[in-house]
Amino acid sequence: MLQFLSFSRKTLSNNLSIYIKTNTGNTLSVDLDPTWDIKEVKEFVAPQLGLKPGEVKIIFAGKELGDNISISECDLGQQSTLHAIKITKKPNPPTLNNAVIEESDEGKPLCETLSDLSFSNDDSEEGPTEQRKVHFFVYCPTCKALKNGKLRVRCHFCKSGAFTVHSDPQNWNDVLQSKQITGLCENNPELCANVLNNKEPTFAEFYFKCSEHTSLGETDEAVPLYLIRPNLKEVPCLACADINETVFVFPCKEGHVTCLDCFRQYCTTRLRERQFWQHPEFGYTLACPAGCPDSFIQEIHHFRLLSESQYTQYQRFATEEYVLRSGGVLCPQPGCGMGILADPECTKITCINGCGYVFCRLCLQGFHIGECEAPEGDVGAPGDCSYNVDPTRAAEARWDEASKVAIKVLTKPCPKCRTPTERDGYKRLGNGWKSLNEDERKKYFDRAKAIGLQHKKEFPVGENPTGLQKITIDSFELFPSTEIFSKRRKIYSL
Amino acid sequence: MANIAAQRIRREFKEVIKSEEVAKCAIKVELLNDSYTELKGEITGPPDTAYEGGTFVLEIKVPETYPFNPPKVRFITKIWHPNISSVTGAICLDILKDQWAAAMTLRTVLLSLQALLSAAEPDDPQDAVVAKQFKENIEMFQMTARHWTNVYAGGPHVNKECDDKIKRLVDMGVEEHQARVALSSYNWDIERATEQLFS
Ligand SMILES: [Zn+2]
Ligand SMILES: [Zn+2]
Ligand SMILES: [Zn+2]
Ligand SMILES: [Zn+2]
Ligand SMILES: [Zn+2]
Ligand SMILES: [Zn+2]
Ligand SMILES: [Zn+2]
Repeated sequence: MLQFLSFSRKTLSNNLSIYIKTNTGNTLSVDLDPTWDIKEVKEFVAPQLGLKPGEVKIIFAGKELGDNISISECDLGQQSTLHAIKITKKPNPPTLNNAVIEESDEGKPLCETLSDLSFSNDDSEEGPTEQRKVHFFVYCPTCKALKNGKLRVRCHFCKSGAFTVHSDPQNWNDVLQSKQITGLCENNPELCANVLNNKEPTFAEFYFKCSEHTSLGETDEAVPLYLIRPNLKEVPCLACADINETVFVFPCKEGHVTCLDCFRQYCTTRLRERQFWQHPEFGYTLACPAGCPDSFIQEIHHFRLLSESQYTQYQRFATEEYVLRSGGVLCPQPGCGMGILADPECTKITCINGCGYVFCRLCLQGFHIGECEAPEGDVGAPGDCSYNVDPTRAAEARWDEASKVAIKVLTKPCPKCRTPTERDGYKRLGNGWKSLNEDERKKYFDRAKAIGLQHKKEFPVGENPTGLQKITIDSFELFPSTEIFSKRRKIYSL
Repeated sequence: MANIAAQRIRREFKEVIKSEEVAKCAIKVELLNDSYTELKGEITGPPDTAYEGGTFVLEIKVPETYPFNPPKVRFITKIWHPNISSVTGAICLDILKDQWAAAMTLRTVLLSLQALLSAAEPDDPQDAVVAKQFKENIEMFQMTARHWTNVYAGGPHVNKECDDKIKRLVDMGVEEHQARVALSSYNWDIERATEQLFS
């Protein structure tokens, strides 16, 4: 009896509490022994579904798992979900067609078949010295930190995890870009295959979860920080020359590398000087510190590596830049910095919800009639070759307590990390409209026009004392084009 | 100073010391403090230039944010060059400003400065007076630069005529360097230089 108790306690402590989903819509909650293989799982699960073990297949992370795979090999984690699907057709007899039988990976889970090497984006000729299991880093919104991550797969259309891929992703592009890898949706094969009248195959959708906390369900996702990678080639850090295990690989052709400490230092330095860039698509970001072309960091969640207070500052600066780029002005009054969106033609701006200062949009001096006194593009005195991190620029753009309200107005929680960010507001007008089709685009612009007309009604030309619109999400939709950003950029010559 | 900057400078310092340029005595770096924030650099004037035979001392200050921001460098040795201030020694060189990249090192900076001595860029001047002379009267510029190299950087070319003109102004009670600046700025026209000095 005693023996039995201690035995069962031992198994209990090691047990994995797992959800099993079926394609009939049922979910079973089961405790599995991680030493079991899939055959044993089937024997355990099938009766509960009223099936024979041979009639069930187990799907996890885009793969049908083979009978001799053990659970511990699958990086499952507590509260993970396995899919048990009833086999409808007779399993295909092993065919000897042109496909080769090199499939020694058959039945292995995805985490076992992917290797770090292929995800290092390194096409140097050196062969793989040792195959290492792939290692992903994520920003986990639950742990609020950089964590180890797990790759998961679901159906692009119905989002069901009962999905098997036709091939493994070979690189980051396959994982991050949509519609790269095809597969079979086992949840509702008919429906998902027919979604587009069979014009398109069914595609896999990849996403990430945090490995370091118990899954809170299928929506508990993490953001892949794919530029953080294991340093397989032992590349020294560009800045401090140390060789670190985990590095930040910049998206430049050379793939320049810094250690994570130096990456943080780089961000802090640039942040302090407000030298991030407002990229029209990616948001407020940085490029490779070696000055490489086309090397902007696309996934701005990488800046989550900053401390909490630095990240807050990052978001504030980003929002300010965003106001400027969307045709807005920041009140030049010291200590104010209210963000104001005004009609593009209007040069007389009043800081309506802020300090009340009335100023000229072009020169940011007090409002005046006639030409501005210091024309833009005023070059310094001859012989003055000064490099500027324009100190006035930083001073000119500060948000006070009141304007934090404005930030809240224009941002809504980021779908990826669930915190308000500049990017969400940005997306609303960013380049999103470009991907719309003719029809949708017309609708979008009609709506923008309607909002514009409404504003005109509220502030008829000549009667509008300020030419102001309050910053609201709606008024952002008036500026859907990035052309306007670039025009503004000239005016403020940032 | 942040650890990263100090660590990086320590490594770079070793790199410069081992470099072949040091072996050829073309560049040199010395540490001025233990925290690696201040260094003294030295470059020799490139051959076939007005700076040939001169040794130019540089002040190098390493910011806390190094290598993400450039080191602050200026000439201690007085020099006559369109891109270097004849007054403060401040340098106008893109890689010390917005073209700086974290992959650059003290060695690249010193070699770039040496290159700047052989290829001035008068259209992007630091010293407008020198740049004007460079563009309008290159021979006069060459002579002046050679004379400054001789006087301040130990260059071999003594210019008797220049020395005489300076002596005449010094005899009038003008400080020697001031006299040299005035004469250099007015193409060694002693009357105009005098006029400027006493106006
Ligand atoms: Zn987590
Ligand atoms: Zn589906
Ligand atoms: Zn480093
Ligand atoms: Zn690079
Ligand atoms: Zn104001
Ligand atoms: Zn004006
Ligand atoms: Zn986010």
